[in-house]
This record gives sequence, structure tokens and C-alpha cells, in this order.
Amino acid sequence: MDTKKMDYTILKDEIAIPYELAMGPTWTRFFEGFKQERIYATRCPKCKRVLVPARSYCPRCFVETDEWLEVSQEGTIVCWALTEYEYFAIPIKPPYIGALIKLDGTDTNFLHLVGGIDLSDPEYVRKTIKNGMKVRAVWNTEKKGTIMDIKYFEPMK
Amino acid sequence: MSKDYNTLRHVVRLPHSYAAGPVWTRFYEGLKEEKIYGTRCDKCSRIYVPARSFCPNCHENLDEWVEVSQEGEVVSWAYSSDREFFGMQVKPPFIIALIRLDNTDSNLLHFVGGVDFDKNTIKAGQRVRAVWNDEKKGHMMDIKYFEPIG
Repeated sequence: MDTKKMDYTILKDEIAIPYELAMGPTWTRFFEGFKQERIYATRCPKCKRVLVPARSYCPRCFVETDEWLEVSQEGTIVCWALTEYEYFAIPIKPPYIGALIKLDGTDTNFLHLVGGIDLSDPEYVRKTIKNGMKVRAVWNTEKKGTIMDIKYFEPMK
Repeated sequence: MSKDYNTLRHVVRLPHSYAAGPVWTRFYEGLKEEKIYGTRCDKCSRIYVPARSFCPNCHENLDEWVEVSQEGEVVSWAYSSDREFFGMQVKPPFIIALIRLDNTDSNLLHFVGGVDFDKNTIKAGQRVRAVWNDEKKGHMMDIKYFEPIG
């Protein structure tokens, strides 16, 4: 019996894993702010650092942060990376720029997207996007209370 | 004291393709024809079901294909009454069992069906026979289940 000349079976299946993450009081309040197009942060009473996204405690001092403040929606790019390769299950379709953004008046880096420019040519992106450049949040019209309520941060002229 | 906090919901989807290879493919083709194939080792004469490409005892290649009986006996079983978890292919209630088909030397994992789940009658040693689905897909579930006989 010759098994060599056959077309072999390919079994296809999909595993779907639904997640529910309990956001808790801090994230709930932070993302409710997003629904109102506000970015909230918390300040550590000891070292006075302003943490965004809002934290329930300061990870350096290990004290509870209960001071909430609204912070600027403008900041500077600390570092960035352009992704062109598409792999399965990423939430954003490439090309996209992931970046660490330091919002004005805060002491942490905020991870999000940089957009609003043509991303099809990496050389153009390299010439246009620079560390230290000023960016501003652009919001989605439809809010869901998630990090993607901010569409991206666009370079300011 | 309870408060309403938000819940983040997300579904991670992992589609996958599994290359069955020549031996599983031939085994599955057999299922489409309502035949159960095993492979036989020249050296130790063991017959493995589902068909294997090599003998795990002798480490010899197996290329002798034999059609095996569709009747056998339940070696062990487990009854799942109602707890359903996400992504289950066969929903409870079901009886999953290791079945030793007649004249083979390995156990086949499959379901025991055609039984009244309310009456706890399944026992190790119970004789069973394969019941086929009308529609075949070239998959283990072309056998609907094994039903008790005699």
C-alpha cells in the first residue's frame, strides 16, 4: 500500500479563548476618563511622581497613590518602532508605529501608537518621526473605555 | 460591599492547521469507507490502532496495514455529566472511553454512546461496536460513538 503518492490531510481548527479581565477601581476610573476624552494620572504622595496610566500605588515607594489629576494630552516621543510584518492575532493591522510617549507633566512613559502620517514607506517614516518630537492625542469618535479610545498620537506641527 | 467596576473582554483566536501526514491520512481515508485500519509490526506482531508509522516497542517501521474489527471492549471510561467548558467539541453528557478493539494491542480513545446516561450501566469489559455517522469528513468523529452490544 503506497502512502507516498497521496495528498495528505490537513486538519484545520480554531481555538478561541475568551478572556474577562476585572479592571478594578483604578483602571475603571482611568478608562472612564478616556470615555470623556480625559487622560488621568495618579501622583505618589512620597516621591511626587505623576504616573500614567493611573496606578493604585507607587511602584518605587510602595505607597498608595490616591491623588488623581488630569494630565496633558500632548507629549514627546521617547522612542518608536515601525512594524510592517503582519502576524496572526495582533489587534492592529500593520503598518503601525508603537511608541513610548512622555506626556507633559508626567514622570512615566505611555505606550501607544503614533499615526496620522503615511506609513507605507519606512524611509519616509524614518525621516519624519524623531525621538523628542511633540505629539498630541487623537481620539476615536466611538469610545469603549479601552486604551484604543485614543486612535493614536499625531505629530504636532 | 460590592462596587461596579468595568470588565475588559477579549477573545484570543488561534486558528491552526495540522499536517496529518501519510499514516493518519490513510487511517482517515479508511474511516470514510467505514473501515478501521491498524498497522502491524513484523517483528512483534502487535497491531496498533489508530495506525502508527513505527512500532513503539521495536522501533521498526510499520508498513503492513490491516483492517481491524469494529467491535471490542471498554478498558476504562469517564462520564462527564454536565460541566461544559468553552471550546468543547462534544458537549456533555458524554462517556469518553479507552476501547480495545478485538485482536489489537493498543487502546482507541473514543466515546461510548447510545446509552441512557441516567442509568449508570457502563462497566469496564463491556462489549461495544462502532456506530458510524452518515456524513463522513475523514476524521475520527466519522465514528459517531461505540455502542454497547450483547
